[in-house]
Amino acid sequence: MRVYLDHNATTPLHDKVREAAAQNLNFWGNPSSIHWAGRESKNILRETRACLALQLGCQPLEIIFNSGGSEGNNTVIKSVWTKLSSLRNHFLCSQVEHPSVIKTYEYLQSLGAKVDFIPVSRAGLLDLDFVKARMTEKTALISVMMANNETGHIFPIQEIVRLAKITGTLVHTDAVQALGKMPFHLHELSVNYATFSAHKFYALKGTGFTFVKRGSVYESLIHGGAQERQRRGGTENVFGISALGVMAPFLKDVSAKSLQVRKLRDSFEKKLLETIPKVQLLGTETDRLSNTSSFLVDDADGETMLMSLDLKGFAVSTGAACSSGNPEPSPVLLAMGLTRIQAQTSLRVSFGWENTMAEVDAFVAVLDSVVQRLRGLREQRLVGAHV
Amino acid sequence: MSEAMSKGRVLVAMSGGVDSSAAAALLVEQGYEVIGATMQVWDYSECDIQEGAGTCCSSIDVDDARSVADRLNIPFYVLNCEAKFKASVIDPFIAAYLNAQTPLPCVNCNTYLKFDHLIQKMEELECDFLATGHYAQILHHQDGTASILTSEDDWKDQTYFLFTIDPKIIPKLLFPVGHLKKPEVRQIAEKFGLTNARKKDSTGICFVGNLGYSAFIESQVSPEVLKSKKGLLKRFPSGEVMGEHQGIHMFTYGQGRGLGLTFHEKLFVMKIDPTDNTVWLGDEKYLYHTELELKDAHWLRTIDPEQIYNVKIRYQHKGAPAQLEKTPSGFKLKFLEPQRAITPGQAAVFYKDKELMGGGWITP
Repeated sequence: MRVYLDHNATTPLHDKVREAAAQNLNFWGNPSSIHWAGRESKNILRETRACLALQLGCQPLEIIFNSGGSEGNNTVIKSVWTKLSSLRNHFLCSQVEHPSVIKTYEYLQSLGAKVDFIPVSRAGLLDLDFVKARMTEKTALISVMMANNETGHIFPIQEIVRLAKITGTLVHTDAVQALGKMPFHLHELSVNYATFSAHKFYALKGTGFTFVKRGSVYESLIHGGAQERQRRGGTENVFGISALGVMAPFLKDVSAKSLQVRKLRDSFEKKLLETIPKVQLLGTETDRLSNTSSFLVDDADGETMLMSLDLKGFAVSTGAACSSGNPEPSPVLLAMGLTRIQAQTSLRVSFGWENTMAEVDAFVAVLDSVVQRLRGLREQRLVGAHV
Repeated sequence: MSEAMSKGRVLVAMSGGVDSSAAAALLVEQGYEVIGATMQVWDYSECDIQEGAGTCCSSIDVDDARSVADRLNIPFYVLNCEAKFKASVIDPFIAAYLNAQTPLPCVNCNTYLKFDHLIQKMEELECDFLATGHYAQILHHQDGTASILTSEDDWKDQTYFLFTIDPKIIPKLLFPVGHLKKPEVRQIAEKFGLTNARKKDSTGICFVGNLGYSAFIESQVSPEVLKSKKGLLKRFPSGEVMGEHQGIHMFTYGQGRGLGLTFHEKLFVMKIDPTDNTVWLGDEKYLYHTELELKDAHWLRTIDPEQIYNVKIRYQHKGAPAQLEKTPSGFKLKFLEPQRAITPGQAAVFYKDKELMGGGWITP
């Protein structure tokens, strides 16, 4: 049995993406070419861009295709630094951003930028008083993600935009986790920048896009090509974009899909609490993505739970320091005030469109047996140590 | 493979070297359900290990282990053991050198990581056995206990490093290459098409780079501490001052080179005194002794004080007959013949023929 419950890491390919793949390989022409081969590829780009713009509430030319969220975040932050640092050299960013945001700001600090990292509470709430106190006419950009990858917490972007208007600060939101999981309208949100990745939305890795509101400063990270109206050099990833184009129409179903996934998640959490003692859900009182459940399992090691579940066919993730070569537990959980020991016991389950209630039930049963086993062994060791 | 066909589930400790890789391959062939694991033990990003030079566990080696696991189509995990490794292997290693001893980090790694942390993982992952690529063999007894025997390959035998194992876990251990000689192990790796079949043997201490152990210690310890370890070189037994040295961590008992002397007389380190940092140098004849004191002795089998055992006092030592005597503080060991350079911090390990009986730590 193989059950995939790690959709915040990446999503499996949608059946329609698979079905269209062979056909999409016909678009091998260079979109910059004037001849028929180029035109066919160029059309795919145009259609995908138009569909995304329609579904997300923006203009087609406000969408720039790129390689994904990390490139998008890097480009936005470095663009604003390059264009505005002589006038405004202060930046704000939440403590729970993706590393492609936090590390880029740390890089800017080495170049002389002043950066303040906005704290979050144990419940996962962003400290808006901190934002109010620190955001000034010198603040060039504020970066706050739309939803957090580990906890699913949804941040109040509209409130951030309202505050930013007062000081003339630009607003960037990393919306990688939001795409396909919650509905939003980019022009209504009125952010300047939003970054997206295709592989969290049932399409392919190596493809993404950035929304840049018309009139917002922006500069290509890659020089040398006139693609994307000189905002992203390099021949376009036509195959990846065509897969994204297959998915784009599904954005209209996000509200319905999100309700369907919420049923699974809520049922999972209810059964989890009923079945396994000493489990603590993280920040359920805060607005969350409907697919994400993050929790602590007392007296069980996250890394070992993950391996045990993997051996039984269940794919989940943990904020514990582990295999991926991370010597430190999740900075997101630590920023929320969890201890290292608590972070070592964390698991994250993130559901997707293809999951079923039967899979939820099977997962709870298997997790229960794994936790019982690990707690039993731990108990034995503690007793043994006292003999 | 279906579980019904399996001979049991094995966690195999894979360093990325050829021995543990061949061990994993053999277990798969023999019909076990195999899970591979590599312990990530040290941040190698600052190490100056050349690619392909291969000491035990650099991150290139983690990649090699991963590639072997992939080739064998078995699940593979990297276990983060950095904090535990630092506390139980690196820190004592440094402390020993700064205290005039010559440590055996591989024993601590076996004691606290391979045969403790991995045993724990083995149980947690519902495995029946833990396998390693050690050159050692297991003999199962009728009563359910088991002994460790030396490997068929005398040259590679690694039982010296295994004397601290908890005897209770020996029945759960598998040493799939212990009955083989090194060239045979390489052939097996070739046969399975493993990328590291021709990889160079690991020889040094895995976390010590090319610059050697004293440079490693200097990189880890504050300049003040290093300064406090400087002292005099004195001639044994006269006490004549022969020069100064830059730190006792640069010396080991029996060392005859790199002493910093300007003349040609052949002298050896006789003794290192941690109280005043004096390094005593003397003629080779003074290196030979027949007695040593043991502490923290650990026995795998019952030891008979009447009996004479073959005892190894360092990894490359061939072993020499000796008899044990209980003292109020531990054990005293008497060799029938004098032994060269009995070194504090190393282990005295006991054998009855091929059977590993246990051992203890040599005290100053």
